[in-house]
Amino acid sequence: MSYAYLFKYIIIGDTGVGKSCLLLQFTDKRFRSDHDLTIGVEFGARMITIDNKPIKLQIWDTAGQESFRSITRSYYRGAAGALLVYDITRRETFNHLASWLEDARQHANANMTVMLIGNKCDLSHRRAVSYEEGEQFAKEHGLVFMEASAKTAQNVEEAFIKTAGTIYKKIQDGIFDLSNESNGIKPGYTVHNSSGGGAGSSSQAGGCCS
Amino acid sequence: MDRSINFRGIAGSAGNIMQGMGKFVFGNEGLESKEDSYVERYLDRISNGTISDDRRSAMTELQSLVAESRSAQMSFGAMGFPILLNVLKEDREDVELVRGALETFVSALTPIETSQGPKTEVQPASVNSDLLSRETENISLLLSLLSEEDFYVRYYTIQLLTALLTNSLKRCPEAILLIPRGITVLMDMLMDREVIRNEALLLLTYLTRDAEEIQKIVVFEGVFEKIFSIIREEGYSDGGVVVQDCLELLNNLIRHNASNQMLLKETMGFDPLMSILKIRRGSAFNFTQQKTVNLLGALNTVELLLMGGPSSESGKDANKNANQASLAQKNILDHLLLLGVESQWAPVALRCMALRCIGNLVLRNPQNLDSLARKQVGEEPHIQPALNAILSIILRTSIAQEFVAADYVLQIQLETPTPSLGRTEPLLHRIVTCLSIAASADGENDQNSHPEESYIQPVILRLLIVWLVDCSNAVNCLLESAVHLNYIIELASSKRYTACVRGLAAVVLGACVLYNASREKGRDAFAVADAISQKIGLTTYFLRFDDLRKSLAHSSSEQQHRKELSRSSANSMSDFQEIEEDETKKDDQHPVLSEIFDSQFVNFLSKLEADIRENIMDIFSRTKTATAVLPAELEQKNGEVELVPANSVESTFEEVLFLENILEDLVRTGGGTTADMSQKPSSGRERVQIEALRQELEGAKRQIEGGSVPYPDVEAIKAQAKEEAEKDSEAELNDLLVCLGQEQTKVEKLSARLAELGEDVDTLLQGIGDETAIPDGDDEDEDDE
Repeated sequence: MSYAYLFKYIIIGDTGVGKSCLLLQFTDKRFRSDHDLTIGVEFGARMITIDNKPIKLQIWDTAGQESFRSITRSYYRGAAGALLVYDITRRETFNHLASWLEDARQHANANMTVMLIGNKCDLSHRRAVSYEEGEQFAKEHGLVFMEASAKTAQNVEEAFIKTAGTIYKKIQDGIFDLSNESNGIKPGYTVHNSSGGGAGSSSQAGGCCS
Repeated sequence: MDRSINFRGIAGSAGNIMQGMGKFVFGNEGLESKEDSYVERYLDRISNGTISDDRRSAMTELQSLVAESRSAQMSFGAMGFPILLNVLKEDREDVELVRGALETFVSALTPIETSQGPKTEVQPASVNSDLLSRETENISLLLSLLSEEDFYVRYYTIQLLTALLTNSLKRCPEAILLIPRGITVLMDMLMDREVIRNEALLLLTYLTRDAEEIQKIVVFEGVFEKIFSIIREEGYSDGGVVVQDCLELLNNLIRHNASNQMLLKETMGFDPLMSILKIRRGSAFNFTQQKTVNLLGALNTVELLLMGGPSSESGKDANKNANQASLAQKNILDHLLLLGVESQWAPVALRCMALRCIGNLVLRNPQNLDSLARKQVGEEPHIQPALNAILSIILRTSIAQEFVAADYVLQIQLETPTPSLGRTEPLLHRIVTCLSIAASADGENDQNSHPEESYIQPVILRLLIVWLVDCSNAVNCLLESAVHLNYIIELASSKRYTACVRGLAAVVLGACVLYNASREKGRDAFAVADAISQKIGLTTYFLRFDDLRKSLAHSSSEQQHRKELSRSSANSMSDFQEIEEDETKKDDQHPVLSEIFDSQFVNFLSKLEADIRENIMDIFSRTKTATAVLPAELEQKNGEVELVPANSVESTFEEVLFLENILEDLVRTGGGTTADMSQKPSSGRERVQIEALRQELEGAKRQIEGGSVPYPDVEAIKAQAKEEAEKDSEAELNDLLVCLGQEQTKVEKLSARLAELGEDVDTLLQGIGDETAIPDGDDEDEDDE
């Protein structure tokens, strides 16, 4: 379970846009149409590979309901990436994006990477928000954009991996101070057990805790 | 501005109440008003003073006054909050003043114990806590102070927060949750200097006790890494109270919290946990109390992981299974066996908890069951199978707790259907043989004592029941030999056995009907049911269940009363005889019985019994049309059993070995009476005395026999005994008389009963005392019945 980096993600957006389903599709490759309302936050994890390096993603799926906002805000600061999700068949979820973004800007780390996702793109016959509108909004606010479907799994992998790629690039560019954990990025475990002893690359050695 | 006025209003009204209370509680007008006026004067100097030094010294004096007296605490609560909160807001650059203000708050929230006054009176400290936590803004202000540079400011602030949490557990966490980054600020304290870090640990432990959302946020903030890095720095289980605090926090975070358990497994893994559990073999000498507590904490972590998420969520079972697999992968079994089975010098609580963890690790987990069956414990040359060692604990322990814990593990191991077992080795047959040996060994014991004494037969019968239930292969295996069926029918019908044994045998027969999937003539469900009705009679057969229930109810009602006894004597037959002689009650059961037949098993039996009744009635109602009638669900169950993959030959072999060992032990205990057990006397001196008395008694009996008196002349016995006893002390004489009295009662009762049975009492009594002849006599007995 050794990894080069650990990234913390949050998934935010209105209730019912499919945040939990996106996570379930990504971590378990499953879809549930009868998914319960999320209470507070739920956790998921998966390993991916970027640039041949193992990256561990820790993902916190938050409740979209207004009543949980104060709780979910606690998760903003420590996240390196956020998936901001709306439902392409429900216009109001798109209209609320600005307020979500404002929340994120206020509480999150300035370098947090935000990916905008128009979910439920399998239901294009009921579409209420055009692809172009989503793209336009992302452009205006400097977000990465993608339409996806948790049901058909279309673009789900891509959304999570592309976000990780963006974060990874920011690391390469030296934007983050990696000694500070509050940006949601943690370099792989170094061997802190005396039995390890190897001087090689810490992320490969794994150590006792990986 | 608006807010502070508002706050003054609230504080003011609360103050009035408190002033009133103060008068009521203390009644001492003079003293109270004096302190009141002091507090007022200091507050005035702090809020209106212009010379910094004077404000500081006023603060110091206020603090020491509040720390000492309840009435000062109360008047400070009534007047002082707005003023000192203002200091915290506006006078940040005056570090000394801020320190003083915080310290004063801490004092105002710390309960003062007084010797005088009624205990029920309201503590001003808790009223002050309520007052301070009423406004989220205040908590927010305190959290902001945690980022101050001055060490003491941070230190007093965290103390103040802890005091708030202790006094008003509900409101404060809610307030902290409402503050953005509130938890984050507290988390940062874990990276602070040691003193603050330790305080922060306590604070977080309070905060996470019940609040699931806080538990998750804390984990999001990476608390697991911090906890384990502190534990590592402190030296794992050898560390001090800080390790204990860390583990308590850890346990709060994962208790019934599937999400956090998964995160722990996914990111940290369980290696750090193993490092805590790791102990050196035979490290008896450095087992301090703190180390025990630390290890108990870590075992609690294991237990919580093995429990998984909240029980209501069925989906979270996956989480429990994943934890079982993952912990097993880290070789936790080795650590647990070392703690629970091999460390006989370790404290009992620790051993029991380790055993329970072993049980939960293998519960409904075929793979882990398998590896437990394969484990060896001990060091060369004393290696033995782990399960064997656990069985020895059951047989030898004198501690009820430990017995129950070890029994838990074995029960799980045995309750799991292992179909291949029955096919490859007729182990069941040996158990039945063992049962018969135990039965005859009982008879050998002492003709004068009741058959009630033994717990060996019930234990073996219980083993059989557990084995047969839900396992048609085992039933088939048992019925392979017609002798078995006949023998168990005899057990169920013969009056020679206790109600308990007969009832349990009846349940075994019932299980042979209920879980019988055989279609072979003579061995199918109908054949067994038919044999029952022919040889016992259905009415008598069903009566056995009622008798069993009565006897078990009796033993469980005795349980409370006998607790003391069972603790010290659970493992020894001789001890039991001691009890026999102490108490003349006829139906007394061995203390082990009440431990084994706990309410869980009794419930299990009564459910089983209902099924059996129904099934047998069902069979007879359909005899005309069918030869073997199997309920549909049974067919299904059988199918399921077949689906279970056969165990590897190796593990089967191990299990056979293990069970053989059980049997050997049982035979030895059953047949050997006192020879083996008396090597470990729990109350040696009494035993020796009793033994001496017994010998005297036997001598006395022999003499009577010489006179060939048909019925024992008790007066003569007494006279004889008296003669001998006069050589000894007065005390011994009394004991002897008591014994003789009891002996007399026994003889009378037995004679009456034997007469009832149509026995020739005279012939029988001639054999008494002739010790070498007893086995023969016993055999004749068996034939007679």
